[in-house]
Amino acid sequence: MFDLSWEIVAMQMIFGLALGCVYVLMAGGLSIIFGLLDVVNFAHGTFYMLGAYAIFVAVSLCGNFWLGLVSAVVIVALIGGVIEWLLLKPLYKRDPLYPLLLTFGVSICIPDIIKICFGLIGKVVPYPSGLMGAFMWGPVMIPKYRLFIIVLTLVVLITLWLFLNKSNLGMIIRASTRDSMMTQVLGINVSRIWTVGFMIGIGLAALAGAVAAPMVASIPDMGVEMTIECFVVVVIGGLGSLGGAIIGGLLIGQVISFVALFAPSWSNVAIFMVMAIILIIRPRGLFGEEGRL
Amino acid sequence: MEKLTDIKREKGKVGFVDKSVWITLLILLVLPFLISKPLATEILIYGLFALAFNLLLGHTGVLSFGHAAYFGVGAYAGGMALRYFHVSVWTSLVVAMVVTALVAAGIGALAIKKKGVYFAMISLAFAQMFYFMALSPFRKWTGGEDGLKFIPILKLEFPFPVDLTSALPLYYFTFFVVGLAIIALWRILDSPFGRVLKAIRENEVRTRATGYNVNRAKFLSLVISGSFSGLAGALFTIYLGYGSLMTLFWMTSGSILMMTLLGGMHTFIGPVVGVGVFMYLQNTISVYTDRWQLFVGALFVALVLFFPDGLVGTIKMKYRERKSRA
Amino acid sequence: MKRSYWFVVLLSLSILVFSMGTAMAEGARLGIVVPLTGPYGTYAEEMKRGAEIAAAEINATGGVLGKPVEIITRDSELNAGIALRRFKEMVQQDGIKTIGGTLSGGISTVVNEWACKNKVLYMTFCHTSFPLGKENCGYSFTTGIIPYMSGVAVAKYSFENLGKSWMNISADYRWGHDQLAAWMVTSDKMGGKFLGNIYTPLGTRDFSAYIPQILAKKPDILVLSLFGTDLTSAIKQFAEMGLSKRLKIVCPKTAMAIAKECGAAYDENVYGAVTWYWTAQDYYPKARKFVDAYMKKYTTPPDADADSGYVATMALFEAMRKAGTVDDVDKLIETLEGQVWQYNKGPEGFRPCDHARTSSVFVVQGKGAKAEGWDVFKVISEVPYWQTLESCENNAKDYPYGQVKLPGK
Repeated sequence: MFDLSWEIVAMQMIFGLALGCVYVLMAGGLSIIFGLLDVVNFAHGTFYMLGAYAIFVAVSLCGNFWLGLVSAVVIVALIGGVIEWLLLKPLYKRDPLYPLLLTFGVSICIPDIIKICFGLIGKVVPYPSGLMGAFMWGPVMIPKYRLFIIVLTLVVLITLWLFLNKSNLGMIIRASTRDSMMTQVLGINVSRIWTVGFMIGIGLAALAGAVAAPMVASIPDMGVEMTIECFVVVVIGGLGSLGGAIIGGLLIGQVISFVALFAPSWSNVAIFMVMAIILIIRPRGLFGEEGRL
Repeated sequence: MEKLTDIKREKGKVGFVDKSVWITLLILLVLPFLISKPLATEILIYGLFALAFNLLLGHTGVLSFGHAAYFGVGAYAGGMALRYFHVSVWTSLVVAMVVTALVAAGIGALAIKKKGVYFAMISLAFAQMFYFMALSPFRKWTGGEDGLKFIPILKLEFPFPVDLTSALPLYYFTFFVVGLAIIALWRILDSPFGRVLKAIRENEVRTRATGYNVNRAKFLSLVISGSFSGLAGALFTIYLGYGSLMTLFWMTSGSILMMTLLGGMHTFIGPVVGVGVFMYLQNTISVYTDRWQLFVGALFVALVLFFPDGLVGTIKMKYRERKSRA
Repeated sequence: MKRSYWFVVLLSLSILVFSMGTAMAEGARLGIVVPLTGPYGTYAEEMKRGAEIAAAEINATGGVLGKPVEIITRDSELNAGIALRRFKEMVQQDGIKTIGGTLSGGISTVVNEWACKNKVLYMTFCHTSFPLGKENCGYSFTTGIIPYMSGVAVAKYSFENLGKSWMNISADYRWGHDQLAAWMVTSDKMGGKFLGNIYTPLGTRDFSAYIPQILAKKPDILVLSLFGTDLTSAIKQFAEMGLSKRLKIVCPKTAMAIAKECGAAYDENVYGAVTWYWTAQDYYPKARKFVDAYMKKYTTPPDADADSGYVATMALFEAMRKAGTVDDVDKLIETLEGQVWQYNKGPEGFRPCDHARTSSVFVVQGKGAKAEGWDVFKVISEVPYWQTLESCENNAKDYPYGQVKLPGK
């Protein structure tokens, strides 16, 4: 093989961390939506894809990466809100199967709409100036953009935590998660809270997509595999647990990174095997709540 | 919260299966003369797959998002038996059913106790795992993305020689196997076991409280459903003449779900109708536009929102409404 | 619920309307199946367009045997089973005897096997391995090339001009393996130094995990035996790490669309091979007609896949004219073997023994930020077929490239 030096290990860990952060954002959004609405969003990857396209459009229009990033998240979150209001809401009173099926249908329609609007060739989103290249820490190369992803995820997580625990709206959202009937009795319009919660979840997915866009071309079908990988992260971390989504995402990032080093042809299968192992030794996931399944 | 509506047991039995089954079999008998033979054969195969899938979904109330796993494993098991062990066609079908049943048992042991949406996600993840395994690490045996090729030219020896590379004989061979399977599935559902499944679908808690072993029933349902899906997969390999990687692809799981819902998941024969309509539509629409997935997806969304009982289910309900009004 | 009635009525009406759509043509027909939906839709669309431009040209000059020709296109959805179903329908229901497509080399070998069993003439548009070994059964002709040809062409150029030590990343499927084999054989012959190989699953989007190994080994040349979004992602991510400043990147197969998707990342340090590029019109004036007709109809210039579709269609219909038949498959095969032409580049034809196209390979270099519009490549060399295509005897034995012991396989 080759000599396994600590520099290679360190670099793989950093790449794995950056990759894991994207999964953290995605799985976090999925968890919030499930925790609040009891809906498994099969179209989660689709919004990731929309985030990648939205930032392309925004950057093409205004030329600034940061402005593009923010507008991409806002626009896609709004789209998510509209979809929730029009299509998902009528289905909450039915069997929980139906919202999942609806999100599945959405995940099939939207990529085709994107293909009609943007064609089939992938779209280029340039890296923001200043974040190309890497820092050298001794012999270890730390890519600037990957570092940015890690820092951004940290900031987003802290903001999310502050919002959920310290703000009024956040408290209401947490209350609705615990006991939506009681919250409703107290006079709060739970329906609107659900829309807001959905939009936050979608916003996280869009952020993940927008941030990933410069690294890969934005193509209409990029969302599908991401949805499935998200599910794996959430099953490992425990459905409904935000902490589980975070740990699960980071774990998966490292797994993929190191499997790529030692046995690349297994790099797609590896995460499913980890999921199978967790299911055997700890069926509710690492941080899942007993009784939620 | 609204529950899935209950369909009363049909009083329309003729012989040992319901008359709707006989009508469908009759239509399938003449189908290759109405539409193209390859399409008709695929409708048979996916029809069986949909019925098997619906055993779990419509009749037991468990959603599997990764049923392509069983279809694909059956396709490869049958194909490998034919290619590497040179077994007869009938043997390959049996091998496929047995291997797939084992796989279903494995997955069931790990995941069947989980709540609905959890099981759905896990089943999808397992299907993906099989797909990627066939694609890369095991490509020496599965052929990777090229699929399983060089299967010997297929001929039936027993009970009389049939050339399976020719369109019409292939169709009627498939019709024979699928027909038997349909009858078998109907009998399973009509049995006491079938009634336990229905009870689970209606109200799992109550069924458990009355003393039935719900987990074991769900597990058995999964194994039977998986096994017949594997049979459909093996038939698909025989139809194609080679083992296709797409049988394991997630879109296969998604399509079978859409087709089942289109036909109506609470009727027995609905899924077969759903398959027929869906495949015919897809085959025809894609002649006119590349964006047929948009139509199909939009149709599906409309279905979920407005017609959750599907085609056959809605027709049945209207028929019953009419009768009760008369 | 009245809604359900209307739904069923509408459904039945649409079924009837759609089924009335198929008319039976009388003239020559080429039935092609390409993956119009799915990740390679762009390239499939080009194949279809190239074929249609050729058909229009044939019709403008009198059609075949006095009647206009027709191209019938169906979507394979990148699925061999569906491709076979479409072909079966065209052959069994519509009586078509000449078929064309697909895009995936793997699917083309499956179709090749079926075409031979059913005695149907199959014009393969893509890079395919059917001329090799036991897959060669006589009913198919290819206007793509045999995969090792592009690998050999670009390897020869690289060892002569770019350096000696090399590493390879191959998508883990047959085409990726063929490129590695081509490079390993050429490297042995030309004194190259093989430093290592990585197999990535088809569909890999994140190549950052492989960068540390590449940096540690310090090759002169990094070969990317990838295509589609795999290749785009790899080039973008390696450019992000400044890799293309430390070594040369060489792609045994590239395309205009890939360079477009990579943007500035596809710079002068990225080399690749194509079977044709539209600036060929600058030194092959006959190509101008094709490029103009294509640009007039579709506003973008044609790329190698369009050329493939065009050449196959033109060759087929001209063979029909020469042979005086539209559906006598054996006579058409006889006519096509040894048929030569000059359409969009130099003279070429189908070799009688294995039906391979005696096609040259262009070595191209990227332009990065200096690219203007669709002019994304600089053609630096055209490698003629006798430097890349093995002899008939060798192809029949799949030698030497099929016999290479690949690492880890």
